[in-house]
Amino acid sequence: MTWISKITTAFGILLLADACYSAYEHSVLQTHRAASLSSLAASHNAPSSSLPIDITIETIVATFIVCLGIVLGTSNLRPIQWRVWAGKIEREGEAGFLNNNGEVEKDYVGNPFRLLESRPGFVDIRKQRKEFAEWVKNK
Amino acid sequence: MPTERELQISPIVPESVMHNTKTLSNLQTLTASIFGAAAGILGLESYSGFLFYLIFTIITTVLFYTIRVAPTSLKAGHGFFDTSRYFRTQYEFWTGGLFNGLAGYILTWTLFYGLVRA
Repeated sequence: MTWISKITTAFGILLLADACYSAYEHSVLQTHRAASLSSLAASHNAPSSSLPIDITIETIVATFIVCLGIVLGTSNLRPIQWRVWAGKIEREGEAGFLNNNGEVEKDYVGNPFRLLESRPGFVDIRKQRKEFAEWVKNK
Repeated sequence: MPTERELQISPIVPESVMHNTKTLSNLQTLTASIFGAAAGILGLESYSGFLFYLIFTIITTVLFYTIRVAPTSLKAGHGFFDTSRYFRTQYEFWTGGLFNGLAGYILTWTLFYGLVRA
């Protein structure tokens, strides 16, 4: 969960809690009013005299905000076609598979052929030489 | 469904499929509980409650599409509603998880209805 998704979700839940308490207060007010008015007549138990419009709007807006916050907090999807996935690993390495906290995801496999590529007969010596030269240069 | 031959030519990574479907279904279950709270607060009854759930789940899926699937998918050149980069079939993406969160929705719906209606 990134920080923006946490903020959005928290704000949405705050709004929802406020709407919930307002609706509760409204319903308590209704029953209290009905009880004090019709203490003689039979209980005309109509529980849902409709909610004030601003509580309704607040609920719906809060739902949207919470939904948006949770969707923003989902992790990145991974490509399912093998060539796209392997190409992504080749090009971006670990940096393409970070989860929301910035760490590499736990089930990141890496190059699926790395065991094959490190066999002595298949070593790419020129690439390794170039990498070593760059490492020395950057030191 | 792709044939065996098509799967041999362009194979599919199973752990990616699992990760994507798990993400989507977690999202739908979690948001369904929140929608249940909203439905309880609004005091919705039988048919309108289920309709509320259906509409908001579809909205959630559309939102998920625009935020998680569309940016990279459109950049890679897929069509406008094509989810084949991350999900096996479009049918599975849009309608597969539709009744995923129904249990959690009904749970929080009845809970909040009872709490708020005193």
